Amino acid sequence: MSVLQVNTLVAGYEPGLPIVKGASIYADEGEIVVILGPNGAGKSSLIKAIAGLVPISSGQVLLDGRDITAVPAHLKIRQGLAFVPQTENIFPLMTVAENLAVSGGVLPRAEVAGRMDEMFAMFPDLARQRSLTAGSLSGGQRQMLAVARALLVRPRVLMLDEPSAGLSPKLVAQVFAGLAEIRAQGMTIVLVEQNARAALALGDRAYVLVEGREAHEGPAKTLWDNPLIAELYLGHRKEAS
Amino acid sequence: MIIDLLGYGAFFMSTALIFALITLGLNLQWGLTGLFNVGVAGFVAIGAYASAILTTPDTVDRIGGFGWPIALGWIGAALIAAAAAAFTGYATLRLKADYLAITTFGVAVVVQLVALNAQGLTGGPFGVAFIPRPFAGVQDQPVLFNFANLAVVAGVTLAVYLALERLSRSPWGRVLRALREDERAAIALGKSAQSYRIQAFAVGGGVMGLAGAVQAHFIGFIAPDNYLPTLTFQVWAMLMVGGSGSNRGAVLGAIVVWAIWVGSGTLTAAVVPGDFQARAASLQIVAIGVMLCLILLWRPQGFFGPRRKSS
Amino acid sequence: MSLQFLLDGLIAGSMIGLGAIGVTLTYSILRFSNFAHGDFMAWGAYAALAVVGVLGGSAPMKPLSFGWPLLVAMIVAMGLTALLALALDWALFARLRARGQSIIVVMASFGASMALRSLLEFMFTSRPTYFSRAIQMATPVGLGIKITADQVALLVVTLALVTGMHLMMSCSQRGREMRAYAQNPALAQVVGIDVAKVVRATWVIGAALACASGVMVGVLVQIRPLMGLSLLLPIFAAAILGGIGSVPGAVLGGLIIGLSEAAAVQFVGAEWRSAVAFVILMGVLLVRPMGLFGVAER
Repeated sequence: MSVLQVNTLVAGYEPGLPIVKGASIYADEGEIVVILGPNGAGKSSLIKAIAGLVPISSGQVLLDGRDITAVPAHLKIRQGLAFVPQTENIFPLMTVAENLAVSGGVLPRAEVAGRMDEMFAMFPDLARQRSLTAGSLSGGQRQMLAVARALLVRPRVLMLDEPSAGLSPKLVAQVFAGLAEIRAQGMTIVLVEQNARAALALGDRAYVLVEGREAHEGPAKTLWDNPLIAELYLGHRKEAS
Repeated sequence: MIIDLLGYGAFFMSTALIFALITLGLNLQWGLTGLFNVGVAGFVAIGAYASAILTTPDTVDRIGGFGWPIALGWIGAALIAAAAAAFTGYATLRLKADYLAITTFGVAVVVQLVALNAQGLTGGPFGVAFIPRPFAGVQDQPVLFNFANLAVVAGVTLAVYLALERLSRSPWGRVLRALREDERAAIALGKSAQSYRIQAFAVGGGVMGLAGAVQAHFIGFIAPDNYLPTLTFQVWAMLMVGGSGSNRGAVLGAIVVWAIWVGSGTLTAAVVPGDFQARAASLQIVAIGVMLCLILLWRPQGFFGPRRKSS
Repeated sequence: MSLQFLLDGLIAGSMIGLGAIGVTLTYSILRFSNFAHGDFMAWGAYAALAVVGVLGGSAPMKPLSFGWPLLVAMIVAMGLTALLALALDWALFARLRARGQSIIVVMASFGASMALRSLLEFMFTSRPTYFSRAIQMATPVGLGIKITADQVALLVVTLALVTGMHLMMSCSQRGREMRAYAQNPALAQVVGIDVAKVVRATWVIGAALACASGVMVGVLVQIRPLMGLSLLLPIFAAAILGGIGSVPGAVLGGLIIGLSEAAAVQFVGAEWRSAVAFVILMGVLLVRPMGLFGVAER
């Protein structure tokens, strides 16, 4: 049984105008699944719909076999589904420590301090900055904070919306190395990305989303090597590798 | 007897139409442009006092004696009220909508305060009396007087109604409507969006000032107590009942709500014993307040507007 | 020159500041200006009056003008006012909020405020009433300032409430959740914050503080149905001056306005008191709309 199973999801902000038009994806335990596709394909909306931020008209979202389609957004994390939005993914006026603490509300109170220490151990840079206002952090550090915040509650699945957006290649490498590390510890990760090269190097499996539906699926490595995909959906003529 | 009833009817309609005039001004601000004015009474008061000061004779402790004719007094009143509205709009329209609401509320409070305390300007708590009335000659024939006044008030209201309808259908009006309904249009227009909104707010304020002036000359005297928050509240109820966005709705709403107000007042005066009269009057306001909230919940488009989907 | 106005300003500022906290929280978390907030103060004062009546008279705790019944009544009234606010939200505001246009919610609060005020007038008439008719002795404390025992007690209560509020907002989980939700409602849901609880907490805190402020006004001045309306403009001005969303800002704004009003009464004339808040408000909006501690608008 897959950890995350999404069946023919139809979702959109306006009831008659779906952006996600019957997409089906899944993620097995310990996998990194990448979702690619051209602009406007609905990748962001798909992941937001799973997280409960975009209204779902039909379809199913199953977590460990449990139907969580209708669960309200703020309870999805209690079910084990953590989401890191692309922009505005931290609270800029609160300190790093407060950002983590406020996410700890779903944990039993006694555990919060311990988990925060574990996050600080995993992200030593954050530990040094714990009293700084989150808004004063650099882009890469904010991303780390956002990921730490999501991991704090020991989710079953971690979903990220374009974590590399706005970051320099060096920082992208850092963030992705961090994600690989987290996967190595057993986390299941679903990643929407625009940076296809880096994402496919990181991921195990990949989907290409076109017009609200998955058009291609396969192991990340072979998707990168497929010239047709590269040209049509990744937007470039693939150089001979 | 019939004659007296007709005379009273004319008096009732005159007051209702003055309210209709204020409501038309509010409709321009809210219905067409989406601006929430919580200080309607203040702009009405500005117009009333302006016209009174411009047209009344000199008195010992208050400025006056400008001796303007009534019609010019009314125009002056409209312009001064419009200027006040323009300033208010300029100060707040680049900020969130709530700030306009709070500021207009403050304008009404301060206007009330000035009216009450600046004795040299406004006559203080005693107000301004001997405001020239358009048909002073027939004052002693009440029925004729009431009908003559009704003719004037109806004429002014009709003229303003037609002008506002024209404005509403003009390109200017279309821009305002687009600004109200689509935030992106506002962003696309950028700075000039504010300019349009200030203009609309100013014209609406001017209409309210005109109404205040007309009423001042109709009654003959004014005092600060005429311009309390209750007035703002009545006008909002009238616009919501009538149908915001529709000038026809504004006028019909004003007549209907005024009828309800007067009717319920008369009923309580007849039925309720003397020492409870004041309390019964409070209950009237509670009822109107609840009605306003219910309309917002269940029929936000009002009752007398044209048939269209609520915006 | 007597410096009495400094104390008067401090007292007035406390009452305004307590009210402003509720308004600033309501605005930053529920995104609307609640015109009925002043009426929470009035309802709170009358509720306390009613409870004191039920508890029966008892000798005041010298040198204060009130005894333990008033303190109990204030706490009970804070609870009752909180219930009123929650009921109003359930019946009216929450439903309109769900539809989107926030200015309609402001309009509804205007209608509700009119109805609440007039309901008080209906029940109690517009005559002023008092918790106690006892005249308080004012003790000189130097610099030409005299203070009564009631004033001391109520300043202490205000300090306690404001300190408690500040601690709650900074250090408690609910306070963090409220601050987080005010900054970014969508992200707040993503991290698991229960919006319904944040909304409830906002109303309860705002209404309870408004009630406390109303009781203070009732003890030090008088109780009448329009008491909330006359404080509404200073309260809004204080919240905007302090910076919408900032609790310390609301308190500081209240103190500044209270002191300015008292100075105006001393140096210009008591009849112009209410204009001070408006002048300060216009100044803030024209010069620095985000106020002293304001955060940039989202």
